[in-house]
Amino acid sequence: MRKLTIISLFFALISSFTIAAEVNIFSARHYDSDIQLYEKFTAATGIKVNVVSGKDKALQKRITEEGADCVGDLYITADAGRLGAFAAKGMMQNAGWSKAIKDAVPAQFRSAKWTGIAKRARIIYYSPERVSANELNGMTYEGLADPKWKGRLVIRKSNNIYNQSLVASLVKNRGKTTTANWAKGVVANMARTPKGNDRAQIMAVAAGEADIAVANTYYHALMLSGKKGAEQQEAAKKVKPFFPNQQDRGTHINISGAGMLKHAPNKANAVKLVEFLLSTEAQNHIVNNTFEYPMIAGVTPNDLVPGKEMNFVMDTKTSVKSYGAKQADALEVMLAAGWK
Amino acid sequence: MKFNSWYLSSFIVSFVVAIPILTVFASFFQETTNYYDILKNTFLIEYIYNSLTLLIGVLILTLVLGVGCAYVVSFYDFPGVKFFKWALILSFAVPAYIYAYSLTAFFENFGTLYSILKSLFGSGEYNQSIPKFDGMLGAILSVSFSLFGYVYVLTRASFHYQSQNLIELGQNLGFTKYKSFFKIILPSARPAIVAGLALVAMETLSDFGAVSFFGIATLTTGIYDSWISFDDLAFANQLSFFLLLFILGLFFIENISRKRAQYHSPIKGGIKEKKKIKLNFSKGTLAFVFCFLVFFISFLFPVLQMLYWTIIFPKNLFDLNTFQLFSNTIYLVFLSSIVLVVFSFISNYGNRVTKSKFLNFLTTFSITGYAIPGVILAVAFITFIAWFDNTFVKAFEFNSIKKIFIGSVFGLVIVYFIRFYSLAYNGLKTGYERINRSIDESSYLLGYSKIKTFLGIHVPYLKNSVFLIGILITIEVIKELPITLILRPFNFETFATTAYIFASQDLLEAAAVPSLFLILIASTFILITSKFILKD
Repeated sequence: MRKLTIISLFFALISSFTIAAEVNIFSARHYDSDIQLYEKFTAATGIKVNVVSGKDKALQKRITEEGADCVGDLYITADAGRLGAFAAKGMMQNAGWSKAIKDAVPAQFRSAKWTGIAKRARIIYYSPERVSANELNGMTYEGLADPKWKGRLVIRKSNNIYNQSLVASLVKNRGKTTTANWAKGVVANMARTPKGNDRAQIMAVAAGEADIAVANTYYHALMLSGKKGAEQQEAAKKVKPFFPNQQDRGTHINISGAGMLKHAPNKANAVKLVEFLLSTEAQNHIVNNTFEYPMIAGVTPNDLVPGKEMNFVMDTKTSVKSYGAKQADALEVMLAAGWK
Repeated sequence: MKFNSWYLSSFIVSFVVAIPILTVFASFFQETTNYYDILKNTFLIEYIYNSLTLLIGVLILTLVLGVGCAYVVSFYDFPGVKFFKWALILSFAVPAYIYAYSLTAFFENFGTLYSILKSLFGSGEYNQSIPKFDGMLGAILSVSFSLFGYVYVLTRASFHYQSQNLIELGQNLGFTKYKSFFKIILPSARPAIVAGLALVAMETLSDFGAVSFFGIATLTTGIYDSWISFDDLAFANQLSFFLLLFILGLFFIENISRKRAQYHSPIKGGIKEKKKIKLNFSKGTLAFVFCFLVFFISFLFPVLQMLYWTIIFPKNLFDLNTFQLFSNTIYLVFLSSIVLVVFSFISNYGNRVTKSKFLNFLTTFSITGYAIPGVILAVAFITFIAWFDNTFVKAFEFNSIKKIFIGSVFGLVIVYFIRFYSLAYNGLKTGYERINRSIDESSYLLGYSKIKTFLGIHVPYLKNSVFLIGILITIEVIKELPITLILRPFNFETFATTAYIFASQDLLEAAAVPSLFLILIASTFILITSKFILKD
C-alpha cells in the first residue's frame, strides 16, 4: 500500500498544468541578464517563459529523443554552427519569422528556421610589448600558420565550437586541403597545448606565456569591465585587439541565436519572444550585459568592447550558415593536424 | 509460490535498476555512420591512456592521504587528533568539480594567488612563477582530494578494530614502528584499503564534471562526446565496453575485499582497547601539520576560495534565488531518500525470504548501476524511454509516456534511484545480515505474517541503518550533477546545476555562491552522521 501511495503521489507531482500563454526555451546561453530579459517580456506580454538550460549537446540529445513530445519552442545558443548543425538534423521547422524580424536581421545572419540575436567577432589579441605593428600588418586568420609565430600563439581546443566555426569559414573560403595544411601550421605555432577558455587565452598573452591569442570580442570587454576583478582588468589592459583579414573578406563574425524547434507547441509566442529580443530595449540590455554586438541597426555596442565603432570590415560574404555545413570538415582537419 | 509478491517486487526493482546497463549493451547492434573512422583508434588509445593516468594518479594520492591520515589519527595522540578524526571526512562535502573551480581560480594567471602575492609584495611578474594546476594534474588533484575520504574512513574503521595484540606482537618481535607499519598494520588493513580504493577508482572513472572542466578526454567523456555530439553509437559502445570492463573488474575486487575484510574483523572476544601512543613535541607537530594540511587542502581551501569570491562579488549572493534552490534540492533529496530506502527494504526482504539464486544474481548485477557514470546513465535512460515509447506505447496507441519520464522530477528520481540503489541496498544488507534468521523463524512461529515480521521487527531493528543511509543518499543527491543537468524539468535548478552552469559560462565567481551553499549543506549532513560513519 505504501508503495502505491508513493507512486500515486509521484504522478500527482509530475502532472504539469499547461497555462495558455507560455513559451518554452531550451537554452545553452544561461546569462542572468537573459533571465531578466525574459522577465521583462513576461511583464510586457503576459506570456510566461519556461527555461531549461544546459550544455548544448545534452539539450540537443534530449530534444531529439523527446521527438514529437518535446514541448520546447525555441533553442537558444551561441554560435551559428550549432544552430545550423541542429537544423540540418531536421530538428527545426520554418519559423515563419515576421516582417519585423526579417527587417531587423540581415539575411546572412538568419535562415528560415533560426535567426541571430546578437553578434560577436573572433579576433586576435596581441601583446603590444612583444608584437610590433609591422609584424601584424595585414594579418589574417590564414597568417596564424605563418612560421614567424612559432611558439607564440595560444588558442583553445579543437572541440570548442567557436574554433570549429572559425575553421569552417576557412574551409568554406580556402577549401579543405588548404585548411588542413593551415591547421598543421597553427598546431606547430602553439605556445602550449590548448587549454582553458577564451579569457584564459587573453590572460596567457597578458602573463607573457604567448604573444598572440585568438578569442571572441566580448571576453576582453568582460575583463575590462572589472566584473572579473581588478587583476583581470589590469591584465586586459596589457593586450590589444586586432581585427584580421581587413584587406580581404573581413573579420570572422558569429552569432548568438534562436531556432524554432520542430514540434514547437507555442510557435506564435516564440516568434513574439524573438521579436522582443530584437527590440531596441532588449538589444541595449544584451550589448551592455554580455558585451556582444547588437543584431539590429541603431543600437551602439558597449564602450568596452573592441571594435565598438563597428568600423572594421566584417566578413559578410561567408554566410554563417556555412559554419554548420562545414563543421564536420573543420573538426576533421583540426584533429588530423593533432590540434588537441 | 508463497512468496510471489515479494519475489515480484524484488524482481521489478532489480530489473529497473538494470535497465541502463541493458540499454548500453543493446545498442551494440546499432550501426551508425561517421566521419572519423581513421582517427578512432588514436582516440581509443588516448581515452584509455588518459583514464589510466588519471586512475593511477588518483589511486596513489588517495592511498597516501587516506591511509596516512587514518594511521596517524588511529594510533597516535597529538594535539587536535579528536578534531581531525571527524574533520577529515568533511572533504566528502566538496564535489570534484567544485574543487576544480577552486583550483583554477586560485592558480590561474591573474588568479587569487596572484592577487595575494601582489597585495603582499607589490606588483610583479608573478604569473610565470605560479604553478598551474590544470589539465591532467588538476584533474588528479581535484578528484583525489574529493575522494580520499573513502580510503580514510574504511581504513580507519579497520585500524579501529585491529587487535592491539598485533601491534604488541610487533613490539615483542622487536620491530621498529616503521617495520610494524609495513609488516603488520598495513597488511592486516589491506582488504579495507583495497575496498576503499576500489570505490575511489569507480568514482574516478565515472567523474564527468572535473574531468570535462579540465578538458581531459577520458573514456567517460569520450562516450559522452561520441554518443551525444557525434551520434556515433558504435564508437560510444566500443568505449562503454572498455569502461564497463574496467568497472566490473573493480567491482569484483571490491566485493572480494569486502568479504575478506569481514574475516579480518574480530568477531568474538571483542577488541582490546588500544592505547594510543602519545607523540613527543616534534613528532606531534609533524602529525598535526600533516593532518592539518590534508584538511586544509581538501576542505578549507575550496571553501575559502568560494568565500573570497562571494565577498569580492557580493552581488552574486543577492542575485541568487537561494530559497528556491534550497527547496528544490531538499525536495529531490527527500523524495529520493524515501524511495530508495523503501525499495531497498523490499528488495532486501524479498531476497531474504525467497532465497532465490536467480534473484540474488539479478540484484548483484543490477547494483553495478552505481559504477556507471551518471552522465551515461541519464542518456541511457532517455534512450530507453524513447525506444520503449516508440516500440510499445505508440504501437498500442496510448498517449506518449515520454513527458512523464523525461524532464520531470519523477524521471529524475528514478535515475537517482538507479544510480544510488547499490548504496542503499548494500547499506541495508549489512544491517540485515546482523539480524539472525532465527529471529524471523521465531516471529513466524509466534504467528506473525511476513509483512508483520517486516514492519514489526525488521524495520524498527534497522532504524539506525535507515537513518544513516538516508543521510548518505542526501549527501550524494546534493552533490549530483550530470543526471540532474540532463533530466531536470523546466525552470528547475539545484545548487549543483546552478554552479555548473555559471562555471560553464565562464562565470566562476558567480558559481561560488551556489557551490558554497552546496558545501555547507552537505557538511551539515556529514557532521550529523559523522558518529556513524566513523564507527562503521
